[in-house]
Amino acid sequence: MENSKSIAGEEQIIQDLLPRKFKNSGKILVYILSAFCLVGIYAYYRQLRYGLIVTHMRDYVSWGIYISNFVFFVAISLVGSLITAVFRLAGVKWGSPLTRIAEMIAVAAIIFASIIIIVDMGSPERFYNLFLYGRIQSPIIWDVIVITTYFFISILLLYYPLLPDLQILLRFKEKSGPRLHKFYSYLGSFWKGSHKQYLLSKKAINALCIAIIPVAFTIHTVTSWLFATTYRPGWDSTNFGAYFIAGAFLVGAGAVVVAMYIFRKWYGLEKYITLDHFDKMGRVLVLLCLLYLYFNVNEFLTPFFKMKESEAGYLNDMFSGSFAPVFWFAIFTGIILPIIILLFKKGRKPLPMFIVGIMVVVGAWFKRYLIVTPTLLHPFMPMHDVPASYHHYFPSWEEWAITMGSLAGAILIIVALCRVFPIIPIQETINEHHETAK
Amino acid sequence: MKLLNKILFGSLSLLFLLPGYNAFAQTADKGSVSVAVSYFNANNKIPYVVVKVKTKVNGKFQNVGGIPLKLSLNKDSEGTLIGKVVTNEQGEATAIIPQSLKKEWSSTVKHTFIAAFAGNAKYDSTSTSLTVSKAKILIDTTSSRSVVATVMELKDTTWTPVKGVDVVLAIRRLGSDLNINETATFATDSTGKASGDFKRDSIPGDLKGNITLVAKVLDNDTYGNLFIEKKVHWGSKFVSKANDFNARTLFATRAKAPVWLMVIATGIIIGVWTVLILLVQNILKIKKLGNEA
Repeated sequence: MENSKSIAGEEQIIQDLLPRKFKNSGKILVYILSAFCLVGIYAYYRQLRYGLIVTHMRDYVSWGIYISNFVFFVAISLVGSLITAVFRLAGVKWGSPLTRIAEMIAVAAIIFASIIIIVDMGSPERFYNLFLYGRIQSPIIWDVIVITTYFFISILLLYYPLLPDLQILLRFKEKSGPRLHKFYSYLGSFWKGSHKQYLLSKKAINALCIAIIPVAFTIHTVTSWLFATTYRPGWDSTNFGAYFIAGAFLVGAGAVVVAMYIFRKWYGLEKYITLDHFDKMGRVLVLLCLLYLYFNVNEFLTPFFKMKESEAGYLNDMFSGSFAPVFWFAIFTGIILPIIILLFKKGRKPLPMFIVGIMVVVGAWFKRYLIVTPTLLHPFMPMHDVPASYHHYFPSWEEWAITMGSLAGAILIIVALCRVFPIIPIQETINEHHETAK
Repeated sequence: MKLLNKILFGSLSLLFLLPGYNAFAQTADKGSVSVAVSYFNANNKIPYVVVKVKTKVNGKFQNVGGIPLKLSLNKDSEGTLIGKVVTNEQGEATAIIPQSLKKEWSSTVKHTFIAAFAGNAKYDSTSTSLTVSKAKILIDTTSSRSVVATVMELKDTTWTPVKGVDVVLAIRRLGSDLNINETATFATDSTGKASGDFKRDSIPGDLKGNITLVAKVLDNDTYGNLFIEKKVHWGSKFVSKANDFNARTLFATRAKAPVWLMVIATGIIIGVWTVLILLVQNILKIKKLGNEA
């Protein structure tokens, strides 16, 4: 009797978690995202044809919105290691329904981090020179190596836990259709769920979880060193690696919260992504906000206290000058308000959490912009005889279009992955169901 | 009709007046330049002249580049032409006395250099001249490390010592010249000699300790600019400090990366990628197990 109940429960889980075809709203979202991508591709075509002159990057601001976006993507990709690896190794069981979402976000973000850095280069046909003539002493080379490694680990960490789910998906040929069935078959028809296979897979996932943490820390530390190894106001900091990692965990967790809410609503996953998940993610988020706030205080208070002449222009511009609205928006919207909201239990309900998640992600994007642009506008050694327009930077429409296109592209990858694969690991949920039943 | 005629007449008058006004305005806008000529004789060899052109803008002198000048010796004629020059961004132009003027040069002990600017759209024409007497300067040193300079003027066919000429005795350095002691200038006596003691004992020289002494007569009204150099063995030997230009450093070229960095970086890359390759191999193992089942 109990056994038949368990099988019925198992079938229910499978039916609930199988990937589904998009409804009209889903299709509209795909069209809108595709339109953004196409405009971005056209803008990139213009950049390739006419050169980087179509951007508003000049001698002062030579790293503009592209590099801000790159740092944002690298930051958000770190969530894969937080939810999958840190939670798994720390024995946090409640996080398992979120692992697939986190990995999908990580893969999408790291793909676009790589793309956007090539966009910033201006001449992609010269990319191979980085490998031919790159210096191992340069953080740029470290970044290239570590991004490639992280991408590979993220793909493996998405793939290994998928194997048992692929076996389940292959049972539903009518639902998935011939094309997807063929794809599933190619990816995982060999998985039979034997004990030996299970042991090998478990061992591999554990190895990946251990490997991804130092690589994830390295990827963002190295990205921070791209700045910190350059002698400029605002970047000349020993705090940068830890400051970047804290910010990356925060934005990644914020993105997961946003995705949790949307997928829960879209697919009716209230049974699997529960209020408890939101409450616990809220606690994680508030902890990360507090940590990031601490690093921000460290990063800005000591230079503000000293107010060195060479850094005064940059600091005043951030605190009370032309960048002040963006700076205080990023601090309040991305850190302080989330802390205040999330400290209350009501603030950790799905809708407030969703809003907080968006605030954190948007605030984080502007924070990356502030890390790059104001510093470049205030070098220690000002340039002589440059046109007045070089002293200001506002991205051109091509830069905005490419940036928006890349953000849309990353979301499109996540949407495509959730159309093809289960958002919540089916086999893991079944296993947990059995454990709870016992 | 009358009104139309008036308008037509008025318009035509304005039309004719405009070019006139324009031309007038151009004349009024023309500035003036001042041209200065300096004569130089280095080491008693080929003499040359330097012209400098300036203009006054808002009460301040500014150098004027791109000004064409005709330089002549003694009289403004084709036969005595030193050369045609154009000033550079610093408003300067240089011309050496050509071989073709050797006869003219030898014919007299006094020479006049004439610089003439024909004028252009921006500046009025102008000319200036400088008259100098032929002179030479000699340099010698004593065993007690004194520097002796002798200034002589050519009178008829004889070199005669000149009294009362200010001479600078210095050492050639990279940026500018350094006086041999605290005295700025030394005046020549009745024998045409000016001497000063060398007080820069520890000054670095070249690899062998050589330094270059120089005796200079600067902007003299009668003789222009004369200078002569002499190499002496009075400096300390230059010892090149060890530098890390070609060493393995973080800022060196690709081929000169520090060994420790290469070992650590390569070690990490090999370590991590070995794990990843093993994990890919693990997938193949799982696949094999599945196919066997």
